[in-house]
Amino acid sequence: MEITRRTLLKASVAASAAATVGIPISEVAAKTVDEAEKDWLWDKSVCRFCGTGCGIMVATQDGRIVATKGDPDAPVNRGLNCIKGYFNGKIQYGKDRLTKPLLRMTDGKFDKQGKFQAVSWDRAMDEMEKQFKQVYKEQGPHGVAIFGSGQYTIPEGYAAAKLMKAGFRSNNIDPNARHCMASAVVAFIQSFGIDEPSGNYDDIEYTDTVVTWGANMAECHPILWARVSDRKLGDVDNVKLINLTTCSNQTSDIADSEIIFKPGTDLAIWNYIAREIVKRDAVDHDFVNKHCVFATGPYDIGYGMRPTSKYAFEAEKDIQAKELEVVLDADEAIAQRRRAGERVKQKNTKAPVKHWQISFDEFKRGVEPYTLDFVARLSKGDPDESLASHRQKLQALADAYIDDQRKVVSFWTMGMNQHYRGSWVNEQAYMVHLLLGKQAKPGDGAFSLTGQPSACGTAREVGTFAHRLPADMVVANPKHRARSEKLWKLPPKTLNPKVGAHIMNILRGLEDGKIKFAWVQVNNPFQASANANHWIKAARKMDNFIVCSDPYPTVSAKVADLILPTAMIFEKWGLYGNAERRTQGWRQQVNAPGEARTDVWQALEFSKRFKLKEVWGKQKIPGLKSKGFTDGELPDVLQQAKAMGYSPEDSLYDVLFATAQNRKVAWPDEAVAKGHACNTAEWLGEGWFPEKALFNEYREFGLGHEHDLADFDTYMSDDNRGLKWPVVDGKETEWRFNEKYDPYVTKGAGFEFYGKALKATPVGDLDGVTDKKKKPLPGRAKIFFRPYAAPPEQPDNNYDLWFSTGRVIEHWHTGTMTRRVPELHRAVPTAQLFMHPYDAKQRGLKRNDVVVVESRRGVFKALLETQGRNRPAKGYTFAPFFDESVFVNKVCLDVTCPMSKETDFKKAAVKVYKA
Amino acid sequence: MNISAILAVVLPEKLDTMVTTLNQLPGVEVHHIEQDSGRLILTQEAESIDDEIKGLKMIKKLPGIIMADMVQHYFGEDEHSYPPELPDELNDQSEAVCVPAFLNE
Ligand code: SF4
Repeated sequence: MEITRRTLLKASVAASAAATVGIPISEVAAKTVDEAEKDWLWDKSVCRFCGTGCGIMVATQDGRIVATKGDPDAPVNRGLNCIKGYFNGKIQYGKDRLTKPLLRMTDGKFDKQGKFQAVSWDRAMDEMEKQFKQVYKEQGPHGVAIFGSGQYTIPEGYAAAKLMKAGFRSNNIDPNARHCMASAVVAFIQSFGIDEPSGNYDDIEYTDTVVTWGANMAECHPILWARVSDRKLGDVDNVKLINLTTCSNQTSDIADSEIIFKPGTDLAIWNYIAREIVKRDAVDHDFVNKHCVFATGPYDIGYGMRPTSKYAFEAEKDIQAKELEVVLDADEAIAQRRRAGERVKQKNTKAPVKHWQISFDEFKRGVEPYTLDFVARLSKGDPDESLASHRQKLQALADAYIDDQRKVVSFWTMGMNQHYRGSWVNEQAYMVHLLLGKQAKPGDGAFSLTGQPSACGTAREVGTFAHRLPADMVVANPKHRARSEKLWKLPPKTLNPKVGAHIMNILRGLEDGKIKFAWVQVNNPFQASANANHWIKAARKMDNFIVCSDPYPTVSAKVADLILPTAMIFEKWGLYGNAERRTQGWRQQVNAPGEARTDVWQALEFSKRFKLKEVWGKQKIPGLKSKGFTDGELPDVLQQAKAMGYSPEDSLYDVLFATAQNRKVAWPDEAVAKGHACNTAEWLGEGWFPEKALFNEYREFGLGHEHDLADFDTYMSDDNRGLKWPVVDGKETEWRFNEKYDPYVTKGAGFEFYGKALKATPVGDLDGVTDKKKKPLPGRAKIFFRPYAAPPEQPDNNYDLWFSTGRVIEHWHTGTMTRRVPELHRAVPTAQLFMHPYDAKQRGLKRNDVVVVESRRGVFKALLETQGRNRPAKGYTFAPFFDESVFVNKVCLDVTCPMSKETDFKKAAVKVYKA
Repeated sequence: MNISAILAVVLPEKLDTMVTTLNQLPGVEVHHIEQDSGRLILTQEAESIDDEIKGLKMIKKLPGIIMADMVQHYFGEDEHSYPPELPDELNDQSEAVCVPAFLNE
């Protein structure tokens, strides 16, 4: 590059950045920007990488992305991006980008043992259709499955969910968000009757106390952390930050207090705070009496493992046995008011979510054992810290929550979600905030952060889960099905009332042969799921057909039978919803390379291959039991379909997607597109605009049902930087459940937790139900008592160290995208195992040794790191999970929260030795 | 080659020394200064993003820096980038070379 051009570019980049963050620049400087950028086309967009949902501006020139910058008008990030944000413009240009469908073949025919060969889209879809139809015929709708995603755009998730649920009548669609947000969702629904946080990011500026629980925000939500740091540094003496973690991390750098706790004892710490609130009579009685009830549920709910040891490796069997029976340890005995050594049959593994209302007195009795003495001893996580110091920190933590002069926000992510009692510990956060009346107010609230860019917007709101329908409805509820059938113009009883397989059960289904066709969309389950050896074997050795839509050759692509090359973020139109309920949209910026196609196109194109008579006839669903249905069976609805004007020969494409109404949503649509292309519309070539039509159709579900979204054009308009739902009369809602801000709250109520789910329960005491009659609790939130339970796997003489996985800032999840950027990859070359120097010494290991990490389930190798940014206490190890060559999930335990079925990636026992 | 613009916030009383220090870092140049708030815009030029990240981390660690984060990134002429059209050899069906080798390992 010539010097002059380079100088000009630098001056221009600097001037443009200055303008972005509001530093005044001279006229001359402004001119350099015009000059350097004269052929660039800037457009607004959204970051692809995390749930923060930063706005980014993307510049294109001659069909290529040339620059990105933080969007100065985005309220989330105000012009900043974290390091990852940078790579939005680069990830699509990796050298191994897939550009043609690839099918395993031998001698021109599909062969599961064959090698991948490039085929045409027609050939690919022909094979996919053939395989799908064969399985569908033999096994019925629950023999097929889709692995969905929290990275789906809203139209993508909607298309996939509608195709599966309304078309194929299967609920076997479940997103990777199951691994990340499911526990948060259960707690929202159980506590509030509606999903997603009441507050928003502005809480950071309104509060004076930020407590992080199992959330390394400095690395994992850096832009929000920048806002927290700003708040802290702007008022150093008054603003308090407390970081609770099992492993010292960067978030502690500016924290006032770092509390290192033993894995799983967060359950006890929350209860200690609750006990203090009660003991110091700091309960906001007015708030609680008007707006809350107390509740609890069974403790003997297992750990989400298989109930049988049939599939377990020999070494796994002792842990697996706990699914059936647990021997209480001394701490659990105190925490659950029982005897140590007592054998407890896990009787409620099938109905872990059931719960009942209790009195405040019973609640008090529940938290009573959680004294400072007990909890401090139980929870101290750093052997080098004195008990007195840990005690003092816990006390200060309780003080900070309870101080009535303080506002307090609790943030958490995977530490609390990926937890064998993830739903409980999420509920405990609401317990503390609700007791104090510090919820749903500016600067006050328990705030669940999300990992993925559209875990909220798509996975949860669209409902791409095995049990969900759009707008918080569920398949098991006949009214919800009826409403969905009406909106989707389906005959009654088309929708399947039986909850489908969650993501771990899809994997297990592949292993058992119950599921024989799976389609992987926008995620990488064969790398990202715990206990991976089982699933890879299932994919490769069992008789099944696995399709993987992917821009890159990931582990999931590698184990698939057919790979569909797929368009990436800026190669399509899309909308995401971030962690503060903000829905944001972007236009297609560039074309996808080669023959890569959008996920929306793939779903629609596949739907063309099915006639109603193939899917809407009688179907067998093993295990289906539901009022109005014959056991094990979905009825033939073709007659009613005829009465509605459908023909059995109609295709699912016409009935579900290219409906008369949707075809009216015309493409080209210059008013919105402003020169941008829409490849999906062009490839379909039928003059309609699928992303827009699908979004506007989806939107109907939420209108008037507490989930109102604006229309597609509003989100796409140049001056819109997203809106926080519910969007009523064009206005977003800043704090939900609070009359001042939320139009859904009844006038005069002050607060109202109006979510409709689970709003009547039996009544009982701590030990069980005493009155089965359901007592309604309209407008109220539930304050749950949940006890401490010990982690099912803990270090012992053989596997003597704790092991946890997580993220580091430079990489996003399994690294499929970020590892494509060569420089970035080099920055963190290969996964490291972080360990305390003392533990290393004990084992005769030194920094940079190659070590073997072994658990009951498998082994992996890594470079040992005893310094650096993650500083585990003695007895703990940590490894990030982005690197394909260091397959940490092989050692992870596939225990889940029994309520949410979310895997606990954070607590396994391992041994480490020199390779 | 990559050029990034970084927003840094420094303690206002250290502004002058910080500007000097920053300008001495390889590839770094301070362009805009806002005296009252201590905000600076600097550019960093580096061969690779690896170097940029290292540079940014170094800047973040300097005493006197309150925060530093990237704002804009230019990589239009990054030699590591990938052509918008696939190179011919990748499209060559007969060799099926568009199948990444490791998939068939
Ligand atoms: S904080 Fe998250 S959304 Fe924001 S730029 Fe970084 S990765 Fe993207």
